[in-house]
Amino acid sequence: MADIDQIMQHDHERLDQLLGQSAHAVSTGAWQEAAHLLEVFRHGIVDGHMVVEESTLFPAFERNEGGDDHPLTALLRKGHRDLRIFFEEMAEAIHDQDAETFDDLLSTVQTILKQHDAKEETELYPYLAAALPDRGEAAGKRILACEAETPS
Amino acid sequence: MSEYHGCELPEDLFYDLDYVWVRPEDDGTLTIGVTDPAQTMSGRLQKARIKKTGTHLDAGRHVATLESGKWAGGVPVPFAGEVIARNEALLEDPHLINIDPYKDAWIARVKPDDPQHALDNVKTGPDAMEALEAWIKRYGVQCMRCSD
Repeated sequence: MADIDQIMQHDHERLDQLLGQSAHAVSTGAWQEAAHLLEVFRHGIVDGHMVVEESTLFPAFERNEGGDDHPLTALLRKGHRDLRIFFEEMAEAIHDQDAETFDDLLSTVQTILKQHDAKEETELYPYLAAALPDRGEAAGKRILACEAETPS
Repeated sequence: MSEYHGCELPEDLFYDLDYVWVRPEDDGTLTIGVTDPAQTMSGRLQKARIKKTGTHLDAGRHVATLESGKWAGGVPVPFAGEVIARNEALLEDPHLINIDPYKDAWIARVKPDDPQHALDNVKTGPDAMEALEAWIKRYGVQCMRCSD
């Protein structure tokens, strides 16, 4: 199995692709497909990626860094809170067949994800193997299981 | 007015202890904006989108979205209500938030669904000041105001 940092980084790329596919469906007016793809993306990122980070990776990093009030994880948790709301708003825009609102939200979400993912990939993931007792094997398996259940 | 690490923190406002301040108005509406340390963290704001008047928002939903070159994020409302006014000047010049976050650069006025409990999830006074100072310290913020 690949290292935890590589697995998480690969998951970012996979999720970016799913969001891009949903955006493409919106641009062609395929609203039902867009809704389905956005839900696949939302499930992957919220119920998979973020859950693994918030339940396992962030706490391990915080323990290693001496406390649960670390600025990096506080900022990343804030990013997750914002993103969860934006995903709901994107789903509503698709439901309303409102491409303009969806595009506005997409632009913001992609900006947040770009900065958020870069921060995780440079400041968090490289230190996880040392911070986790199993070097991240269990967390990596959970992410890979989420990837495997994604319909192609 | 309290000040910590150069950040202005008006003691009469209510805060969600993260990015948002809330000011009760005489007519029962609540004005919302972002704090001085939050605007500093955000950097020079380049884009603002604010929900249209008449929009109803559940608690926690974003009344506005702000973007700078290095940051993007939402401005959540701490209570449910209807947007009754928005600061049109910010749509033209979001950078005003970096200049005057508590006065000219208010973001929106919201009429709460339940006025009696609208401020249940925000803090004011010494408790708020203490929590905001901890926030500023955690992120290592040193506030700087842009003059133009």
